[in-house]
Amino acid sequence: MKCLRFMWLPCNRNGVRTQTMCPVSTSRSTQQQHKQLSNGVCRYSTTSAISHCTALLYREHGDPTQVVQSESMNLPNVGETSVFVRMLAAPINPSDVNMIQGTYAILPDLPAVGGNEGVAQVVEVGSLVKALKPGDWVIPRDAGLGTWRTAAVLAEEDVISLPRDIPLLSAATLGVNPCTAFRMLADFEDLSPGDTVIQNAANSAVGQAVIQIAAAKGIQTINVVRDRPNFTTLTDRLKAMGASHVIKEETLRRLEMKELFKSCPRPKLALNGVGGKSATELLRHLQVGGSMVTYGGMGKQPVTVPVSALIFRNVSVRGFWVTQWKRDHSEDEGALRSMLDELCSLIRQGKLTAPACSEVDFQDFSTALEKAMQPFTSAKQVLIM
Amino acid sequence: MRRALLNTTRGTALSVGLGERSRQLNSCAALVYRRHGHDLDTVRMEEMSLPALGRHSVRLKMLASPINPADVNMLKGTYPILPMFPAVGGNEGVGEVVEVGSEVTSLRPGDWAIPWDTGFGTWRTEAVCEAGDLLLVPRDMSLLGAATIGVNPCTAYRMLHDFVPLKPGATVIQNGANSAVGQAVIQIAAALGVKTINVIRDRPHRRELEKELMSMGADVVVTEEEMQGLRLENVIQDLQRPVLGLNCVGGLSGGLVLSSLRDGGTMVTYGGMAKKPLHIPAKALIFRNITLHGFWMTQWKRNNSQDMSRLVTMVTTVCGLMKAGHLRPPHCAQVPFHQYRRALQATTQSHQRKHVLIM
Repeated sequence: MKCLRFMWLPCNRNGVRTQTMCPVSTSRSTQQQHKQLSNGVCRYSTTSAISHCTALLYREHGDPTQVVQSESMNLPNVGETSVFVRMLAAPINPSDVNMIQGTYAILPDLPAVGGNEGVAQVVEVGSLVKALKPGDWVIPRDAGLGTWRTAAVLAEEDVISLPRDIPLLSAATLGVNPCTAFRMLADFEDLSPGDTVIQNAANSAVGQAVIQIAAAKGIQTINVVRDRPNFTTLTDRLKAMGASHVIKEETLRRLEMKELFKSCPRPKLALNGVGGKSATELLRHLQVGGSMVTYGGMGKQPVTVPVSALIFRNVSVRGFWVTQWKRDHSEDEGALRSMLDELCSLIRQGKLTAPACSEVDFQDFSTALEKAMQPFTSAKQVLIM
Repeated sequence: MRRALLNTTRGTALSVGLGERSRQLNSCAALVYRRHGHDLDTVRMEEMSLPALGRHSVRLKMLASPINPADVNMLKGTYPILPMFPAVGGNEGVGEVVEVGSEVTSLRPGDWAIPWDTGFGTWRTEAVCEAGDLLLVPRDMSLLGAATIGVNPCTAYRMLHDFVPLKPGATVIQNGANSAVGQAVIQIAAALGVKTINVIRDRPHRRELEKELMSMGADVVVTEEEMQGLRLENVIQDLQRPVLGLNCVGGLSGGLVLSSLRDGGTMVTYGGMAKKPLHIPAKALIFRNITLHGFWMTQWKRNNSQDMSRLVTMVTTVCGLMKAGHLRPPHCAQVPFHQYRRALQATTQSHQRKHVLIM
């Protein structure tokens, strides 16, 4: 397993654990600066020149509801090329849970702070920092930053700025799932307006982003979801986002699909976040020469591929991992920037909204973790710092 | 399944058996079937009339034609393209040009030629077809080489060239290594300086087979059981971790080939002898960036038939490899044409050589 670089220091176990009403002061400045959040609570405590933050740490892999604890952490001084940021909001994604469980492809050195994405506001920048200034919003460029915390001191190169005129929840949830959706729609098949994409896990954050980005490009989507009591409500919601069709998993195996394909072409691209039979059914409906891209395995089953699909229908089966894409393109400054710009443009046009979120106060992280690990969780838990 | 208009220009089967009647100039003997069946008894040798030679036609005297797995699947009705009935079996083979129509310039009497498309119906003594249905092959090839060049060695050639750029020293891993394609892969790879790891089923004379494959240029030969039991390092030894995997088995075997690939590797599936699907762990796709493709020679040929030059180049190149001694045909069992039942029955048993009908 690869190890991650981390920007934080080992926790001061004797440190203060609770938030206090206090002015913020950076280690460099002797001036007292008051930073008030909307609820009036300042979440930083300072003792002399050392800054602290509160972070959700785990010291061993295991059940997140058991191993994740809130602890105070020292923050280093802001170096010449560093930035001091306060976290605003950070979601709980499945990959975050897998990382804590120890089942993810990359695992941090322990103890580690949970969370791989979120939005922060720059408070102070080092003397050599050119691209960022106080007040800017930033998100991490790579996985492994440990975003479930109130503040951090990060290298400038570890973050990228976002415009502040997009909703907070959109910013907090932009870097992983919408970027995954964007890349899968762009990098595997040449899709023109009128083409069709089929996907399972359509109600996931990636799924919802796929629907909206595809709709903005005139691409039709066939969206497969698990059956549930409020299926009609869900259908309405996804269609309002631009979904062309919403169907249950069971429908994939039925003759109804023939009817469906009278109103839209067979898909060139299938997006699989589930695996198992669901993935096999997606594959069956692909056009000759089409691709299935796997980005997740929520069903915890391997992807079953009949040999005939590969040989006689020339279907390709591939995978996508946004973290790998970011690492492969880390030297290409424009690549991540232009994707984020395009996504922000869609957000401003109202064509891309954040998934349904449940905003949870940072200190209620336990409840949020529990909810995030439920099956059929219909809202993404987002910690608000 | 598409039922193609195959065989229509090549003759009509008369429902007379071969008897004392002398074969007329415009008829031939052919292995005909009128329905699909799981047992191979649906095939009968019959006399077939042949059409008159047109301006663009060629009369071909068939010399030799193998029985390949795809041929058997077509008989059984499990192949994705199926002929109209009555149909003649067999999809590849070599014949000698006997007569050409007045406007044929690409072939002359005496030339050896192979049909390029699936569905020709090669299990017959003669055919009359369009000149454009045939590709010239050198006469100084071995008969068995020419009879078996068009499908399997060409599949091996394409899979080694079209998916992953292979540099000398790169490693390819394949299952079904003792198949006709597998043996061609070993030899063509060796000629390219590419290393091969070859997975075979265990069998009584395993060591002898291993020696034979090594003598063809195989670098490593392991059984399926060893693949399951050994650590990967012990299989790969001091070769580079494979960048390309070739799978004709599917199921567990295909999974083992896939798991041995390096990150970013590709597995190409061209057969499914175990009749089991592949079960791919999501992690292999997401985190190790493994790509799965399929390859079907028939489709490649059809996609490239507008401009025949790519087909011609491929066949010429592969024939050249044979001529240079880098590629030899698999060990075949030669069967006189009239003993076709024996040859067909052999396909139902394991570990049989490829049976080639000799006309």
